[in-house]
Amino acid sequence: MKLNVTNFFTIRKVLSLLLFCAIAYSAYSIYYKVKYWGFSLSPKAVTDVWTVDAKISFMAIDDKVKVSLAVPNDRDGFKILSEEVVAKGYKITQDKINSRVILEGNGKKGRQNLYYRLSIYDDAQNVALNSLLPAKVERPILSEEENVQMRKIWELSELQKGDKVQKAILAINQEVNSPTMSLILPLNHTSKEFAEKVIQILAYKRIPARIARAIKLEEGRKTEKPDIMLEAFYDGHWTLYDLNTAKIGLPKNWVIVQRGGVSLLDVKGGEDSTVVFSVLKSVASPLKMAEHRAKAHDKLWSYNYSMYTLPVFEQNTLKWLMIFPLAILVVVIMRNVIGVSTMGTFTPMLLAMALVRTGFWSGLICFSVMIALGLVMRALVAKLNLLLVPRISFVVIFVILLIQVLTVVGYRLNYTIVSSAIFFPIIITAWIIERASITWEEEGAVNTLKEILFTFITAVVTYFVISNEYVRHVMFAFNELNLVILFVVMLLGTYTGYRVTELMRFAPLIHKEN
Amino acid sequence: MFEWLFNGKKLRENGVLGMNDRNYSVIAKYNKRSLYTLVDDKVKTKRLANSININTPKMIGIIEFQYQVKNLLDIVKGYDSFVIKPAHGSGGKGVLVIKKYDAEHFYSASGDVLSFKDVYQHVSNILSGLFSLGGKYDVALIEEAVNFSDVFKNFSYHGVPDVRVIVYKGFPAMVMMRLATKESGGRANLHQGAVGVGLDVSTGLPLNAVMHNKPIFEHPDTKANLMDLRVPFWREHLIIGSLAYDMTGLGYLGADIVLDENRGPMMLEVNARPGLAIQIANGKGLKTRLQEIDETYPLGLSAEERVDFVLNRGK
Repeated sequence: MKLNVTNFFTIRKVLSLLLFCAIAYSAYSIYYKVKYWGFSLSPKAVTDVWTVDAKISFMAIDDKVKVSLAVPNDRDGFKILSEEVVAKGYKITQDKINSRVILEGNGKKGRQNLYYRLSIYDDAQNVALNSLLPAKVERPILSEEENVQMRKIWELSELQKGDKVQKAILAINQEVNSPTMSLILPLNHTSKEFAEKVIQILAYKRIPARIARAIKLEEGRKTEKPDIMLEAFYDGHWTLYDLNTAKIGLPKNWVIVQRGGVSLLDVKGGEDSTVVFSVLKSVASPLKMAEHRAKAHDKLWSYNYSMYTLPVFEQNTLKWLMIFPLAILVVVIMRNVIGVSTMGTFTPMLLAMALVRTGFWSGLICFSVMIALGLVMRALVAKLNLLLVPRISFVVIFVILLIQVLTVVGYRLNYTIVSSAIFFPIIITAWIIERASITWEEEGAVNTLKEILFTFITAVVTYFVISNEYVRHVMFAFNELNLVILFVVMLLGTYTGYRVTELMRFAPLIHKEN
Repeated sequence: MFEWLFNGKKLRENGVLGMNDRNYSVIAKYNKRSLYTLVDDKVKTKRLANSININTPKMIGIIEFQYQVKNLLDIVKGYDSFVIKPAHGSGGKGVLVIKKYDAEHFYSASGDVLSFKDVYQHVSNILSGLFSLGGKYDVALIEEAVNFSDVFKNFSYHGVPDVRVIVYKGFPAMVMMRLATKESGGRANLHQGAVGVGLDVSTGLPLNAVMHNKPIFEHPDTKANLMDLRVPFWREHLIIGSLAYDMTGLGYLGADIVLDENRGPMMLEVNARPGLAIQIANGKGLKTRLQEIDETYPLGLSAEERVDFVLNRGK
């Protein structure tokens, strides 16, 4: 139709532009939340939280005791959720630079048990290791025999694959049981001795290397000593190597507790000291971890003004509200695009909301019974010719009493179907009854049942959309999508195409000969 | 079974106006909301119509307050028959036609015998808003009953046949006649099973007839051939529709007109959101007509000139 064409298109264009902006904003916001807050599109996503317990045990012998424990730091990709020291009567200091916890006590006697607990989440692979530049490595002073060995190892290493360090590690591993090798490395060596020998061999080629101690995060793991790995400064950066396989990088779910030449645990004023690590795994929802992640990314300011920082009660209310726009969109589509007529604009939406609480079948059955009983009652009252307001009031009170009776009976007889009556909005129920009975009188049973049926169908469709776990999660976690819905609804306000039901209604207007 | 899902293109080609299109491109554009009150209140409409000489059933009186209801007999004194209707009703809801009466018995057009108490109750219901849009308090309008012309006797089962004229920018655009059937309970409401007969706007001759959206050729109850339907005073019917535009300023309206034996065509009510079933009755799309009026019809004509313009196009 040539009705004010320019005006017509501008409105649609402006709305489309706004919709586009809303989509772009939402896309960015989703990216932001996933990246910096760790939100997930799936409601089932969980974040592993590892609790590493270090139990330090020693006999105090001096008056003054000083314990120093090497601890992981968050530069290694793991993010620290919480750190906790249980050491009664000890002075606790954290040495962030050297990644150590220092405990000092006075007048301690007997066996001391101190605990250090660390909760970490999110392992990130291959993050840059401590990038401090190493000191220059001097070639070790070796005997003639040892020098021969060194050269032999390096010759053998040429046959191996990988970078120079990997080649060396593989060659040593291959030769470790050979008689010649035993001269420099005893057969019954510890892994620490092995690592030290590797460091010496690398030093021969002036490659700086150091020991790293790491724990594997594994459910219920208890280990007295962390595993030993090797870090070498090669090609301008520190790289972590597995001493057996020569694989590069920290394997998944490992955490480095200590690196360099310093010891894992130092106890001054005590003896017979041990440290036992144990690991426990638990899970947390990404929403709960969001604050820590936001903090870790230095994005706390944006997080603090989001609804996820609200108290749980407010959050749950908002979570419930955030699903409404989608339900409204469903109603708009059902009415303006599909073209079904319902009793009241948002009645189906409110019905669907009630169904979410009652459960689908029980709610549907209970509600149908309520409507049927209400209609019978309303038909009986119709004979009394009451005035409008008192009559509607009668229906409302009747529905309230009906809900009360059904709920009590349902509770006593243990029929959840019956007791779900309590969740249906009283006014809506009463209003459907009143409206249906008037339609019944004026337009007959067929039209009334049709209208009730369409109302139910719309409610059911809405129910399936809003009861979906994914949909609810996404609409809450990525609530900016509601902005998209807003403009979609507005654009639908300019939709002038046929409704689906009109395609059938106007079918007689199609001339077959055309 | 589902080929109707692909009807969209053909409907567009045939210029069928859809509900969304009607609301967005026609009503929202040409019917100012503030004008609705002129047609939603039948008392107002009637006064307005009388001021520019549109024929309507004569008003006997109005009952505004509950205490006035008991004076009903005084109000209708001197009239043999009368009609009570809600001023804000729509679609014939709450209309009570009393053919004859004495102090205790009221004989309605549908054949019921009512007591004064029943009639009293009916008026009370009107006042309490039972039949009005949104349930607002209403006023009962009492007017003279129409003496329906006999010419349509064979075409309607009980009830009142009426002519619905769709007027666009003052030009009669499409017309249909609505005939009550047994199924529609004497009401001229298409979706309750009344018959709709599309009439050519220029000639007044029947084009097509439908019942429940399906083409029919004879009245289901009286068996009259619907193609024999002729509407006298055709030009006068159209002029009433055209004047309704001058009177209300609504760019898109539906005027409901009945034929009185003595007084000729009379306007019963004006609708600011007339439905789209008229297209099915005519077997034609309304959009094509509206476009034609938009593009080729002259501006600045009086109501009679507009009607004559439309009538001359058929020659």
